Amino acid sequence: MSGHPVTLDRPGEAVLLMGNEAIARGAVEGGVSMASAYPGTPSSEIGNTLALVAKELGFHFEWSGNEKVALEVAYGASMCNQRAIVSMKHVGVNVALDILNPISLRGVKGGLVLVSTDDPSQHSSRTEQDNRWLAKLNDVPVLEPSTPQEAKDYTRYALELSEKAGLPVMLRTVTRLSHMRSDVTLGEIEGPPRRAEFDWAGFSYRVAGFERLFRRHRERHEKIDAVREAFEGLGLNELKLDGGERVGVIGVGFAHTYVMDAVRAMGLKDRVAHLKLATPHPLPERLVGRLLGAVDAVLVAEEVDPFVELHVKALAKDVAPQVRVHGRLGGQLPREGELSHKLVDSAIARLVGLESPPEKRRELRARADEMLFDRMLTLCAGCPHRSTIYALKQAVIKVKGDPKKVVVNGDIGCYGLAHAPPMSFEDTYFCMGASVSVSQGMSQAGVESVAWIGDGTFLHAGIPGLINAVHNNHPIKVVVADNGTIAMTGFQTTPQSGVTAMGEPSKRVMIEDIARACGADSVQVVDAYDLEAAEEAFKRMLRAEGVAVVVARRLCATQAIREMRPSRPVPYLVDQDACIGCKLCMSAFGCPAMIWGEETGRAIIDATLCMGCGSCAQVCPSRAIKRREG
Amino acid sequence: MMRALKIVVAGVGGQGTLLASRLIADSSIRAGLPVKIGETYGMAQRGGPVMGNIQIGGEAMNPQIREGEADVLLAFEPVEAVRRGVYLLRDGGLALVNSRVTPPVEVISGMMKYPDLGRLTSLLREVTDRVVSFDATALAEEAGDPIATNVVMIGALAASGELPFDEETVKTVLRESLRPRYYDINMRAFELGKEAYWKAFH
Repeated sequence: MSGHPVTLDRPGEAVLLMGNEAIARGAVEGGVSMASAYPGTPSSEIGNTLALVAKELGFHFEWSGNEKVALEVAYGASMCNQRAIVSMKHVGVNVALDILNPISLRGVKGGLVLVSTDDPSQHSSRTEQDNRWLAKLNDVPVLEPSTPQEAKDYTRYALELSEKAGLPVMLRTVTRLSHMRSDVTLGEIEGPPRRAEFDWAGFSYRVAGFERLFRRHRERHEKIDAVREAFEGLGLNELKLDGGERVGVIGVGFAHTYVMDAVRAMGLKDRVAHLKLATPHPLPERLVGRLLGAVDAVLVAEEVDPFVELHVKALAKDVAPQVRVHGRLGGQLPREGELSHKLVDSAIARLVGLESPPEKRRELRARADEMLFDRMLTLCAGCPHRSTIYALKQAVIKVKGDPKKVVVNGDIGCYGLAHAPPMSFEDTYFCMGASVSVSQGMSQAGVESVAWIGDGTFLHAGIPGLINAVHNNHPIKVVVADNGTIAMTGFQTTPQSGVTAMGEPSKRVMIEDIARACGADSVQVVDAYDLEAAEEAFKRMLRAEGVAVVVARRLCATQAIREMRPSRPVPYLVDQDACIGCKLCMSAFGCPAMIWGEETGRAIIDATLCMGCGSCAQVCPSRAIKRREG
Repeated sequence: MMRALKIVVAGVGGQGTLLASRLIADSSIRAGLPVKIGETYGMAQRGGPVMGNIQIGGEAMNPQIREGEADVLLAFEPVEAVRRGVYLLRDGGLALVNSRVTPPVEVISGMMKYPDLGRLTSLLREVTDRVVSFDATALAEEAGDPIATNVVMIGALAASGELPFDEETVKTVLRESLRPRYYDINMRAFELGKEAYWKAFH
């Protein structure tokens, strides 16, 4: 038994849940029998939680190969009358978009919920794209909760809505909600598993006929119109309109919390009407029209794009052309970045003719800022990627004479930090798997490059690129930084792990086997901690004629320490007599466990952080770094 | 409704700050008090700054603490204490600061120097004279594992009397939430944190 609060069959009890855990609980209460996901911040804890409890609650959870696969697996279950939930970060939906389109056209049988966790202000993403557009593109209804309690309740409702509407439903959260924790009151868990049966009439060409199933654009429109009608009268959306207000605020999803706090903090209850909008798409137009018809100006507060604002503007043109609609389009809120109390307070204050609340301690904060550093992200102490990058950089310098002779195309994962000082040995990164393919265009143009990709990312989206290189004679060089786990998002399994998300053994899918099967001309596997062997392997790769792959393998240091607990690794130490104070271990290697002794002019190793990998000992030119005895 | 207690937890990825926030929130729920935590992390495990905003009780819907409204700053690192403290801690609020330095890659690779500790503390003292600074990591090491730094900090917080529930509530949550084989280490860490707080006033 996991003991996780998500498993408790105690309706009415309040437990502390993170937004993402609450979504997992909503899926449990809604009786899903299938759950799939691909990890990615800020979505990962949904899958982590489901993985932890799936076995004991009797449903299936998997970390799928990628987001498209995850959605397809879930859809297969939905066509067989099973409820399913799929979760991914916003950019994951780009990968899944190809299948989302036919799902929305063909419809669903068992409720199918797609959770998209958007990341306003890009806390841990390359973009802050707003996935409500992708939902709209496919006539997929969107629900946006504002609290962990609603995250749970809406997930359950989304499963019911999906089934009733015959459409997949998107539950959209943002980082601040996914990673927020609060007390959540548990509900009842849905009854016994449903009968699994393929819906022949709904999905089979043989039974229903190709034409009947194929052209369904109009049917999809009829479905989304029915959902709009349901949202008009829905309790999820709340309108507070007493009649005397001249100003209205629409708070969409999590943005509603800033609106409510602003109205309370500034004492504007009597002067501001507000609509809590949980259903940005399709927009309940009559409900919004009621607000538009009663005020002079409306502010729309929503995360990332002016999605609702644009629709409200269009609606206002028809139903209340005199009303001014403000928000991110109008410049009252910024066009980019997440909202904050300060931004929403100021926008509402301006609208009602108040001064914006003053900024506090401006001078003190300026003095503090002068002293502080950003604290740039860095690889962990003992991270095998650091050793691999170091060895690769040395090999490039020795074979090519200059580290800039080769473009390093990075990919998505911890190893993307290769760009950061002091290693500073990565030039580009784009999206999952792109390193392998962009390197081919560079190669064709006569520019040398290395594709620098992690194990999880290679298995997610690197393989088609590698096959392309072999098929089209692009002699690319690929380094797979294989740390045995999807480390950046919390140590999820990969197809190479030999174990499923639910802890069942499974056959290991090895990267070197795939590389060979794809037709790579040379495939080498090295230990990332053996700097000399790794450097030699990279030299051979750089000199090779055809497609060359090196897998640099070593378990993630953080994971290794987790597995070691409660015992601790044996740290290394710097022989203070042998150290010549050259600082190479810090300026070129830069492990966070290295400290500079200001008084002694010698390097020291922080025994608390050192995980005993021994890589720095191989970097030290005077062999002053040694393994501590016993 | 009771007045909210607002706590900022500040630190660096990997220091156990998220767990500390969760233990405080679990204790609140055990005491029957509504609680909200807002967290920011991302690639935080890779040495980035981490912050948790905790609100126990109160009417706010959004967990983010507004400028100058935090009652307590629970800081796991001196620079992080200043980064969050001068912005969020209220005038006269309580700052509990782990004095153990975690140098960032900027300092390790020689691009910058770590700021003077005395100057850092004096910035915090412009906000409040209630600054309690001690080497919590050393105390955690003394208790048996540096990872227990977060429990040392919670011990100090419990001793401060700021929490709207008693020490036993916290201890019960520690016992139930942490793995049994770490129980002794964590209980020692908790007691050492309490002592550190008391010593600061002698």
